[in-house]
Amino acid sequence: MIKVEKLNAGYGKLQILFDVDVEVSSGKITTIVGPNGSGKSTFLKSLFGLTDIYSGNITYDNKDITYIPPHEKTKMGISYLPQTNNVFTNLSVIENLKIAGYILKKNELEERMNFALKVFPELKDILNKKAGALSGGQRQMLAMATALVRKTKLLILDEPTAQLSPKLAEVIFDKIVELRDDYNITPLLVEQNAKRALEISDVGYMFVSGKVAYGGSAKSLLEHEKFQSYFLGIVDDESQIGDNYDGSY
Amino acid sequence: MEEVGKMVELISLILFFFGLYMIVSLSLNLEFGYGGIPNFGKALSVLTGAIIVGGILNRLLIWYFGVSGDFISASSIACYKLTEIIIQNPLVGLGIFLITVAMAMIAGAIVGALSILPSAKLREDYLGVTLLAISEVVFFITYYDVRIIGGYYGISAPDILAFIPGEYKIYAYTVLAIVTGLIIYLFLERLLNSPYGRVLRGHRENEDLIKAFGRDIMKLRIKTVALGSALASIAGVIYVFYSSNVTGNAFTRVEWTFYPFLILLLGGKGNNKGVVLGALLFVLIRILIEFYKFDIKELLHLPFEAVWIQYIFFGILALLVLCYRPEGLLKEKPIYTPPIKSKLQN
Amino acid sequence: MMGVIEGTIVWSNIIVLLALGLTMTYITTAVPNFAQASFAVVGSYIALTLLRFIGLDPYLSIPLTFIIGGLIGISTYYIALKPLIKRKASIEMLMIATLAWDLILFGIIGAYSEILGSLTKRTETLFVFTNLDFEVYGLPGRLIVSTMLVLLTIIGLYLLLYKTKFGIALRASMENPSLAEAMGINVENTRLFSWFISGSLACMAGSILPYLQEIVPQTGYFLIVSIFAASIVGGLYHIAGALIGGYIIGVSESLFTYLLSMFFGPGVLVYGKVISLIIMIIAILIIPRGVTGSILWRRLEKWLNL
Repeated sequence: MIKVEKLNAGYGKLQILFDVDVEVSSGKITTIVGPNGSGKSTFLKSLFGLTDIYSGNITYDNKDITYIPPHEKTKMGISYLPQTNNVFTNLSVIENLKIAGYILKKNELEERMNFALKVFPELKDILNKKAGALSGGQRQMLAMATALVRKTKLLILDEPTAQLSPKLAEVIFDKIVELRDDYNITPLLVEQNAKRALEISDVGYMFVSGKVAYGGSAKSLLEHEKFQSYFLGIVDDESQIGDNYDGSY
Repeated sequence: MEEVGKMVELISLILFFFGLYMIVSLSLNLEFGYGGIPNFGKALSVLTGAIIVGGILNRLLIWYFGVSGDFISASSIACYKLTEIIIQNPLVGLGIFLITVAMAMIAGAIVGALSILPSAKLREDYLGVTLLAISEVVFFITYYDVRIIGGYYGISAPDILAFIPGEYKIYAYTVLAIVTGLIIYLFLERLLNSPYGRVLRGHRENEDLIKAFGRDIMKLRIKTVALGSALASIAGVIYVFYSSNVTGNAFTRVEWTFYPFLILLLGGKGNNKGVVLGALLFVLIRILIEFYKFDIKELLHLPFEAVWIQYIFFGILALLVLCYRPEGLLKEKPIYTPPIKSKLQN
Repeated sequence: MMGVIEGTIVWSNIIVLLALGLTMTYITTAVPNFAQASFAVVGSYIALTLLRFIGLDPYLSIPLTFIIGGLIGISTYYIALKPLIKRKASIEMLMIATLAWDLILFGIIGAYSEILGSLTKRTETLFVFTNLDFEVYGLPGRLIVSTMLVLLTIIGLYLLLYKTKFGIALRASMENPSLAEAMGINVENTRLFSWFISGSLACMAGSILPYLQEIVPQTGYFLIVSIFAASIVGGLYHIAGALIGGYIIGVSESLFTYLLSMFFGPGVLVYGKVISLIIMIIAILIIPRGVTGSILWRRLEKWLNL
């Protein structure tokens, strides 16, 4: 679905990503894990066109989209939900959904909103509540629902369970699986909650210091000794982790 | 012969206002160009100088000479009496000038510090708005309440250079304005190369950095505006003595806030040489329009006063400079501390 | 006493209309517009021109002043600000640009007042409409019309912002422009809209103002402090702030001046501005984000689920 080759990107003169190769396949959940500052979030932003790309290629459904601006990508079915400020807090839930389908025609908007509310029935009771007054879990669901209104094919999520209770995080993970299974949406996520996220994923990547340290099936990454030792804190010299990735899995 | 005399008078007028605007713009450059404080209340400090002459010096003179009557006519009599003395004894005139300048600087510093006090901690936009509002309100009060400095009636000011014959007086004031401007220029050049100057520039670029060095932003801003206002109030004093009266509408926001900002833009903010150049350029255009306003009106068959054209012109000029040459004629130079200088030379 | 209350309401209504525009453009463009007061004086002169040449009652000229005002608002944004915003100019530079724009408008108003005078053979650098006002059951027209205008503006803005798709997009762009852009909203439209409304409300207020006080080309200088005080006291980040701040400033200015003049005579009228300044300074010291930015207000909003 989306293929990233030898991506070098950052902000202005500050390069953060170095020769990153990632592939996201349609119908699979892909999760990127890694320590703080490893460039995971920057990678997601680069996919959506919010950073400076120095070199490399991003192809989406065999089209080169490396330098296409964000609002064009929205139209192509790519949605990006940042970790914070992903809904309009001064607008009510229903207004947020309406705005998400701003470019749609009226009957189409109606249809998409009904669909989004079918996936997230939890929102139905709070349609007139201000988004700023929602709980963290409700807000995350609203953000994901707005992506559904926009006819999303690839849903890029930056730490969707951050600051949520384990119980609520579980609900969000279930929804992500549901999106893949029932609605043909491909989720790509970055997660701090690495173990749990990989358990529901198909493919896993591990970033260290702006490079891909490991890429393979989620299961293999979970079982990989480097992953285990890293997240158990046994290995703290990062260079040891990143040395034997050959760019394929 | 008359033409030549007119020409000399014109040049002298240009140089006089050049001196005045040099003082005010340099003080604004300290605050805004170097310190990044958008002092949209600059006119207040010039007005402070005028208040010291019209409101304080005149009252002192009335009291000293024991003149009775209402404030405005008593002022005329007291000023006349002082003028008589100065004709006999020039030193009295110079002494009064120096004392007034000292009083104005103290008052300017206090007024400046007080005016920035409420907003010293806030962001640039709130800072600028608050300073403008305070300046405007003080201007209104002194203009409409004739009991303070005569307001719209105007009030006499003593002629401190009464010992100089009438036709040469304007040259004397020109020298006075230019010399004061030069002294302030040299003083600021030295000051801005001191550690204070570097901290000030640092504050403009990055407030947090200065905080990290343990400097108090609020104190730095208060100090800077106090100094800037003290310097600009001298211009107010000289202007009032020169025109030998105080008129409320001479200290508007356009004249003493907007024009100094325009000068900074023209010359290049953060560069004192550029600001001096900008002041010269501005005053040249301004006085020429002023001097030939009747000819302009005649020539263009304007059904209105040329002064309105002048406002439109300077407004457009400011927009053009902002858009096409925001760094001004002379760019700001990087700071070379002695260690860097010696390194560069090697 | 009746006259004082009436004058207070009219003055407050005018301040509200002017502050609304200032707050809206501040929210969308992040620039405090120093030319706001001059918009009003332009409105006064448009009304005067129509009165002199076609004998139109100034109240009836309001629809036209509304439109011309809107165009002036938009040209302010297009000519003075947008080229600088594109070049990523700092906020201080944008503020200087609005000061420059104010001076240009001032120059045009002054020149125009003299041109008009030469055509009508009257002094147009100073005028009032007070003698033209009508009365209904003893209530002066300016009270009725200015109150109606404020009500219409509030209802109109409410319907637009809360009941239309464009309005929701407007509120979205005001809160988070980059997210709104990602949704496919053209944020530029919301800026243009706010500048249009800002100019048109100000010009409308300007066509009422001559019923209350004398207009001179310098009138803008008297208004600017009150307008800024109103927007800041109410809160520059919330449209409702202009409403609240406008009435706080309008009422305290009028009543304070009235009280002062009872004790000291009419010479103290100018001190009304001092009270605006003092309230504004107290506000920035205690609640820098204004009434609508205070914790109390947020609680109230939550309680009302606004």
